[in-house]
Amino acid sequence: MRFLDWKNRLAAVTMGAALAIAGPLMANPYEKYAGTTLVISWPALAHFTAAEELLEEFTEETGIEVEVDALQYLKLRDRQLLEMSKEEGEYDIVSWVVMWKGEYVAKGLLTPLSQFFTNGALVDPEFDIDDIADAYLQNGGIVGGGKGYLPGKSGALYGLPFGAETSILAYRKDIFEEQGLAVPTTYDELAGVMTQLGEAGIPAMTSRGKTGHQVTAGWLLHLAPMGGKIFDDQWNPVINSPEAVKAAEFMRHVVQTGPTGIETFGFGEASAAFLQGDAALYLDTLKIAAMSRNPNLSTVDGNVGFALHPTDVRCGSETGGFAIGIPANSQNQEAAFLLIQYLTNKAGDQRMVELGGDPIRHSTIQNNADLFPEYPVVAEQLPCADPDWRPLIPEWNELNIDVLGQALTKVITTDDPIQPIMDEANEKARAIMEREGYYKWAEYRQGS
Amino acid sequence: MANPSAPPATVSIRPLSPYFFILPAVAIMVAGLVYPVLQAFYLSLFDWKIGTRFEDAPFVGTRHFVRMLTDDNVHESIWVTLRFGFWTITIEMFLGVSLALLLEKPIRGASVFRTIFILPLMISPVVVGLIWRYLFDARIGWINYYLGMVGIEPQVWLGDPELAFFAIVFTDIWQWTPFIFIIVIAGLQALPSEILEASRIDGANWWQHILFVKLPMIRSILLIALLLRLIDVFRALEVMYILTGGGPGRATELLSLHIYNRAFETQQLGYASAISVLLILIVFGLSFAILVAGNPMKEKSDI
Amino acid sequence: MSGVKLSGVMKSFGETTVIPMMDLQFDEGEFVVIVGPSGCGKSTTLRMIAGLEPVSAGQIFIGGNDVTWAPPKERDIAMVFQSYALYPHMDVSGNMSFALRLAGRPRDEVKQRVRLAAEMLELTEYLDRRPRDLSGGQRQRVAMGRAIVRDAYCFLFDEPLSNLDAKLRSTMRTELAILHKRLKRTMIYVTHDQIEAMTMADRIVIMDRGIIQQVGTPRDVYNTPVNRFVAGFIGSPSMNFLKAQLTGSDGLRVRGKGFDIPLNPRLSKAATDHSARDVVIGLRPEHFSVEGAGGTRSSLFAPIDLTVEVAEYIGSSQFLAARIDDQPVTASIEVGPDSAPLESGEYLFDTNRMYLFDRKSGMAIA
Ligand SMILES: Nc1ncnc2c1ncn2[C@@H]1O[C@H](COP(=O)(O)OP(=O)(O)OP(=O)(O)O)[C@@H](O)[C@H]1O
Ligand SMILES: [Mg+2]
Repeated sequence: MRFLDWKNRLAAVTMGAALAIAGPLMANPYEKYAGTTLVISWPALAHFTAAEELLEEFTEETGIEVEVDALQYLKLRDRQLLEMSKEEGEYDIVSWVVMWKGEYVAKGLLTPLSQFFTNGALVDPEFDIDDIADAYLQNGGIVGGGKGYLPGKSGALYGLPFGAETSILAYRKDIFEEQGLAVPTTYDELAGVMTQLGEAGIPAMTSRGKTGHQVTAGWLLHLAPMGGKIFDDQWNPVINSPEAVKAAEFMRHVVQTGPTGIETFGFGEASAAFLQGDAALYLDTLKIAAMSRNPNLSTVDGNVGFALHPTDVRCGSETGGFAIGIPANSQNQEAAFLLIQYLTNKAGDQRMVELGGDPIRHSTIQNNADLFPEYPVVAEQLPCADPDWRPLIPEWNELNIDVLGQALTKVITTDDPIQPIMDEANEKARAIMEREGYYKWAEYRQGS
Repeated sequence: MANPSAPPATVSIRPLSPYFFILPAVAIMVAGLVYPVLQAFYLSLFDWKIGTRFEDAPFVGTRHFVRMLTDDNVHESIWVTLRFGFWTITIEMFLGVSLALLLEKPIRGASVFRTIFILPLMISPVVVGLIWRYLFDARIGWINYYLGMVGIEPQVWLGDPELAFFAIVFTDIWQWTPFIFIIVIAGLQALPSEILEASRIDGANWWQHILFVKLPMIRSILLIALLLRLIDVFRALEVMYILTGGGPGRATELLSLHIYNRAFETQQLGYASAISVLLILIVFGLSFAILVAGNPMKEKSDI
Repeated sequence: MSGVKLSGVMKSFGETTVIPMMDLQFDEGEFVVIVGPSGCGKSTTLRMIAGLEPVSAGQIFIGGNDVTWAPPKERDIAMVFQSYALYPHMDVSGNMSFALRLAGRPRDEVKQRVRLAAEMLELTEYLDRRPRDLSGGQRQRVAMGRAIVRDAYCFLFDEPLSNLDAKLRSTMRTELAILHKRLKRTMIYVTHDQIEAMTMADRIVIMDRGIIQQVGTPRDVYNTPVNRFVAGFIGSPSMNFLKAQLTGSDGLRVRGKGFDIPLNPRLSKAATDHSARDVVIGLRPEHFSVEGAGGTRSSLFAPIDLTVEVAEYIGSSQFLAARIDDQPVTASIEVGPDSAPLESGEYLFDTNRMYLFDRKSGMAIA
């Protein structure tokens, strides 16, 4: 699979010679690949910018060169699809938003990682994959199981989480103290707190609410704890279930008691509202913790407390962010695997924390629990993270934006009864699934 | 007095020659304009997803077109576009022409005002979108801030269907009135002064002067302005994309934005192509209607 | 009091004064032509009368009313512009009827008047055409028609014929004259073409640099120009001027380089009363002659030596570009169509036809 051009080979030879001169030849799993240049495509986001230093350390230690093509994350997908659908792609490592993994695998663009994990010469025995937060691993890396995007006997691992995240609750300690409020642990308590804040004239909880995937993301955060799902096991949409309607009602409550303009908030605006003191509560990615400490973004540093994502009928927080894997058309797959392993093993994860990135391992979080106030919360939250909090199927795009994104806008911008809105959305969702052939087997069985 | 006699039969250019001379222009048009349209049409016959090879895309025939004809979202989007076009173009034409008539005279400070007034035209649409998104922002925007100073509740400008529609209309007017203004004022200043004086001597008062002499004389310019704005309404994308993304709901989702969202947000390239074929047909139909109603080209030798 | 009157009118554009001071009186029904070189303020004067340009000082009366500050439409005037200024978006009848329609005249009357004017100008068959489909002469007539239908008290023309070719211009000149006879309206006509002025005018106003030089009938201004400017401006080809000295005491003579001519008694008397000796004599080209052909050697005809440089044959006369000593002169001499080209030698000049001007002031000595 691996092919070194003459330049690389020459470099490898030179490197080997240098090592030979330096002293007795040590067993070195990286040696074979020294001089290779790996090209990474990943987003220009804080976690990844922080990782660039770790890449330099990698090159120093292994002699494998690394080039980074960092793009704005919305541009990432088109670019990666283009490269990966070529005969020979530029990229040796790509980082994807978890949502895209199903599509990438369905189109045959990624290499399964099993072939490397079975290669004793490559895999580090101390890697300890079980230490990686399960929900992160499932959500970002596994494709092909029961539902296609979750683990199962038919599933396989295509990537490792890197820059993954879950949701926690952030609140303004000063406001809570002033109002004599207790930190909510359940949705009922949360709703009560929001009402109380609303009555006191304090904008309660910020949220994403802009038409399209943003408002859907806001709603999904509440759907899982309330026991709702998008589909049942037969791919029938259930977004008009009592749980889903309850989550929508809650969303409306958020908008009514929250800061002005939630209807227009994307992720940036929603976060800004909290960071600039215009909201007392924030329920979304744990990244809010790092942002609240950044003086360029935040005016509330020091007043922010963190708590678990409140529970309703169950505990369930979001899983999202990024994972990294290897394109099927990469020319340097083994070296690429070595780099991915380097970034995600215990040492790498620890270095990421030190550099300001987000950890993916239980051990790292526990070892650093004193470092940041949110770490103990995250450690406790991770077992609740729900890898199935949204379906990662190609049709999700259309459902997310066209169906739910529209219906939920209606929920938060009107006073219309919610059940009919969600019923209508459910019908549309069903029509899309029908169009895409999800019910063919059921119809076939019924017919026979 | 004798009738001007028939034109002398002199130069005999063969009737086909004119076509020969416009051939290069036609060739460029075909390459640059017709080809992409045909390409869009071809694409609309397939169900192609980004990242797969086009050769593997299933052929679906007219399925996208059938779906489009019964798709409420497309209908709604066309309706939004037409309403948007009606309000923006009507107001822009009225304001642009009125201001041009007012500022045409070299009164003190007119040139300074004129320069300031056309600034919006020079700003890139993306920046226009960002500026107004900030101004209309419900939480930190200036508009709510100033409304608050006179005791008006903060409004969620971009999150309420009616207000958001108002916001995109307003922004469009802000950006494009100068365009009408500039070409109308250019037209007005090119009018021969003697004709305008003749009408004063003939006894036209202020509004008769404008209505019966000035405006009819710049009629072709007005038509061209109208046509350009109309086409632009169907092309407008960046500002709405940044301002509202088409929301809330589909309240501000113009047809072009609808196509964009279909193609790049929900990844339905073939379907989006089908809708863009429809868009081309609509624009073509409207332009054709305007040109038939009053061909601006044939008026050129009026004066 | 009727007619058109300008009293103490002054006009300046910002710093530049175009018309320092003007008093003028036109009688009712008179055809007056204002002539003068380009830029002398003819159009400005006309536009002030029309109300298109406000006066800087003074008053304007039309038909006895003070219209100094009245807008054009209240002055009862019609105007024909040099560029015709037809409304391109209206057909011929629309153009001609525009003023009447604005005034809210009854339909029938409008139609009637347009029909009459069209007949008068032979435009009947073009009534449905747009201006761009007409020839220059036809457009010119439409512009006239537009003025005629108004039946205004006073008609103003600003070089209406200058865009036409020579032949059409002379035809239109005649038509205008006929029109004036028929309509009997006051007409003020601006031109820089002195032939137009001479042929059409009841009276001519000659302007230079915003100042009226002379007002009079064509005959007056040709025969008795008040100064050198008028003398040079009226007449074609224009008058020759030669520097001269008054000499003698009884029976004065004028002497200059290459000539020494006795003054006729009328001029002699006038010159005697004049103090300055430095003068300029004016000789019109058409008053030169050769002996035997219209000229006779008598005391009235003074001999002058001409050095002929070019002799142009123009039918019954010849046109000479010549010199008297070193001063260039032109002469137009009737010799009949069959004569040979004229050559240098002695020519005659009619001393009764000579003009005398003070060299400093340029005023005529008469
Ligand atoms: N609007 C104006 N502003 C400043 N100066 C002007 C204006 N209109 C005319 N003038 C000046 O006034 C003078 C007289 O202009 P006017 O048009 O009356 O000349 P005219 O006698 O009609 O000449 P022509 O025979 O060339 O038409 C000219 O020197 C001209 O430059
Ligand atoms: Mg003039």
